[in-house]
Amino acid sequence: MDQFNDELNGLFASYKASVPDVEASANFMPELWRRIEGRRSILLRMKKLTQMFLAAAAALSIVFVTLLSVPAFTGSDVSGSYIEVLADAYPTETLASHGVLPREAAEVKTK
Amino acid sequence: MLVDFEQIQKAKAGDDAAFNQVVIAYRKRILGTIARLIGRPEDVEDVAQEVFLRLYYSLDQLRTPEVFEPWLYRLTVNASYDYLRKQRRRNESRMSDLSEQQVMMADAAAGGKVSGEEHRRKQVRELVESLLGAVSEQDRILLTLKEVEGLSLKELEKIYSVNENALKVRLFRARQRVLNAFEATRASTNKPAGRKG
Repeated sequence: MDQFNDELNGLFASYKASVPDVEASANFMPELWRRIEGRRSILLRMKKLTQMFLAAAAALSIVFVTLLSVPAFTGSDVSGSYIEVLADAYPTETLASHGVLPREAAEVKTK
Repeated sequence: MLVDFEQIQKAKAGDDAAFNQVVIAYRKRILGTIARLIGRPEDVEDVAQEVFLRLYYSLDQLRTPEVFEPWLYRLTVNASYDYLRKQRRRNESRMSDLSEQQVMMADAAAGGKVSGEEHRRKQVRELVESLLGAVSEQDRILLTLKEVEGLSLKELEKIYSVNENALKVRLFRARQRVLNAFEATRASTNKPAGRKG
């Protein structure tokens, strides 16, 4: 086993010698920069697309917020709370004719 | 360090000329390491360019220039691993297309073109290649970095960001597998000689 271990160590050393460090070809750096530029343009395109998507999403959000904040047109001119609408529809004078007295008059009557 | 920290800081800050200097300083070493990790001279430059490309786009994540070399080795390991994985898939489909006879003829034709020292080197490369085939791509890379590149366990620990003991266990198992494959190869090459004797 030890013999094989030693032989394997020797084999690994021979392997390193049989595959020495090599110099890069003349095309190495231009090709590297071409790949860097290629990746950069892809990233730029993706960034542009992302920005466009974000701008569209923001515009849509503004449209939705505007639509929600403007009160829906119901076709009637009713405004105010339910009690106010009721009070306008039945003024105090007309209530008496229906047998309903104003609060002050009712209190005097009970006294 | 083959370059000073200032150069790395400049490259990190986006200075392309400084990045160029870093590549020029390290490319020979990285090309050699990749050549021994992947075992295919024709694809070494391609993988090395991938390493430096990844370096270019990840340099801003480098915390301190002191960890630059382990960082670069990690990128080398990752790119080599990706290549070996792709290559294995490609080889599986390519070899299934060739008959055994065609493979032998191709080997013979390739062998005829080399002689002497180059032939011996080729045999060493082929033997180591076949032995490393006994372990996974990850273990092949780890074992090559330790046994062939001569990196220490401390250096490997920095590259892999893994506990030294875990690395020791993994290396031991990988080496055992390669050793078993080596013994088996030796036994098979000694058999015919034994019969003759």
